[in-house]
Amino acid sequence: MRHPAQLDHLHLIGRGSYSPALFLNWRNHRVSLVILLLFVLFVISVPKHDVTAVIVFAAFPLLFVTAGRLPVLFIAKRLLLISPFIIIMAAANPFLDRTPYVRIGTMALSSGLVSGTVIILKSFVTITAVVAFTLCVPFYRMCEVLRGFRVPGVFVTQLVLLYRYSFLLVEEATAMQKARNMRAFRRKGRDLFTTAKLLGSLLLRTHDKADRIYRGMIARGFEGELNKPKADAVRKEELFSAGAAVLVFALIRVVF
Amino acid sequence: MHMADALVSPVVGGAFWVASGALIGCSARKIAAEKDNSKTPLMGVLGAFVFAAQMINFSIPGTGSSGHLGGGLLLAALLGPYRAFITIASVLTIQCLFFADGGILALGCNIFNLGFFPAFITYPFIYRVIPGKKQYGGRLAAASIVAAVAGLLMGAFSVVIQTLLSGISELPFGTFVLFMMPVHFGIGIVEGLVVWAVLLFVSRTEPRLLVPANGARAPRTVVAVFAVAALVCGGLFAWFASSDPDGLEWSMSKVTGTGEFKRAGGKVHDLLAGIQEAVAFLPDYSFKPAHSAASTPDEQAAGPASPVSPGTTVAGIVGSILVLIVAGSVGLILRGRSARPQTSV
Repeated sequence: MRHPAQLDHLHLIGRGSYSPALFLNWRNHRVSLVILLLFVLFVISVPKHDVTAVIVFAAFPLLFVTAGRLPVLFIAKRLLLISPFIIIMAAANPFLDRTPYVRIGTMALSSGLVSGTVIILKSFVTITAVVAFTLCVPFYRMCEVLRGFRVPGVFVTQLVLLYRYSFLLVEEATAMQKARNMRAFRRKGRDLFTTAKLLGSLLLRTHDKADRIYRGMIARGFEGELNKPKADAVRKEELFSAGAAVLVFALIRVVF
Repeated sequence: MHMADALVSPVVGGAFWVASGALIGCSARKIAAEKDNSKTPLMGVLGAFVFAAQMINFSIPGTGSSGHLGGGLLLAALLGPYRAFITIASVLTIQCLFFADGGILALGCNIFNLGFFPAFITYPFIYRVIPGKKQYGGRLAAASIVAAVAGLLMGAFSVVIQTLLSGISELPFGTFVLFMMPVHFGIGIVEGLVVWAVLLFVSRTEPRLLVPANGARAPRTVVAVFAVAALVCGGLFAWFASSDPDGLEWSMSKVTGTGEFKRAGGKVHDLLAGIQEAVAFLPDYSFKPAHSAASTPDEQAAGPASPVSPGTTVAGIVGSILVLIVAGSVGLILRGRSARPQTSV
């Protein structure tokens, strides 16, 4: 089950509630998505024992978070909910690679410990960057940008609809689960087959919803896709920002 | 079993972005050619359904733990391969962006692992074949369980391959496979049971919902798609195993169009190395094994075990944390000038 903390700020995500005007206005959403991808690519390209470079790359999300007044607590919670898979992979490294990598006084840090730390740090940096981006850019704008990049209309329409209705269905599912738990004594009633019926009835409700939505969409002139691609010429500032970002990131990789 | 950014190398992440992007493009074209707009909202809402269904957990008998629906196979059974693939891809994209499940560069890997196998392999070749014309009996149960297990095992194996190709984890192949396969075998059985029970419930209460998917034929192009994907992976494997390029070198070779970047651009490399020496204010202080690391006689006496010098390492960490502090302070200064958020937290 998803952790309840993941839902605490459901209302914040994808709404573009935060807009650090200093970095982002709606004209810059396209180039900021490109820069985000470049940033993640550069962070991931850091060799597996290079702690310093990852810490230096952390400066970018940190700058963005502090300057943009982003909710630090919210982002910290996201970081703590880091997937167990990553933790297992990172925690395995110190046991599997015990060759001493560096000695500080009498203490020797093993190569595996260093590479495990790098895995965790890389997760923190990349997750913060993505979460910061999603806090600042409204989801519908992100979809428009994707459509501008020639992502198929079917997929973009799917993203828009999924985002829009996930709030509704999550609420419904949570209510159904609460009702079941209130009627269930201990583990009785929470088993797989009873829950499958619950899921089945959620599925039926979902299907009815889709029917009504479709009729609503037809009535409003739906012709197969929600976002028509707009011919938005690439501006000089965008090229400049992307170029500058590549230069800075590459410089960090060279210097550190 | 979401792959994370921190576990993939740029080469592997990029290759699977291309593979998954091609599959999305191919599926989107198929769907557009069907010209059936009535299923567009159904896909959207079913994606949201999977998302919501994951909120509802159930206890797993005998283990004391709880689990939730994965969704890939159920979507394939309800929507057919192409629409299911697009829907799974969209669910994973939202999870990546808003719940930090998996990373943005690992998204291609995740779409491939969790979408390609259930939609294009297990659904047409196992799930559709086993029940034959009898749709709702014990054969449906067998089909659901076998298809779910097979799909998850393939996905888990793909995760192992991607992780090993990336070279970030120290786990040896055998251990990793032995760890992943039994876990996903168990998850697959539970997933298969849930899918079967849900389909059984739907077939008894609202059988018309299952008609469209049952009418969907197995995709004819799937073998071609699979062959291309296998070629991509195989080629990637061979190339990666032979040259083992560092991530940045790879991106450089993409830009310059030649893998021989270092040799071809020797001057550029020397120039950059020169800049590095000139610019680095705490030179040679990363954890990279430094060939010219200064080591005192004491340290040499302590043994050759440590490939980097501790002094430079500590200096490195201090230096990078200094950069962080500067970035944070600059952010706080700029914060005053930045517009206040439009909504209160």
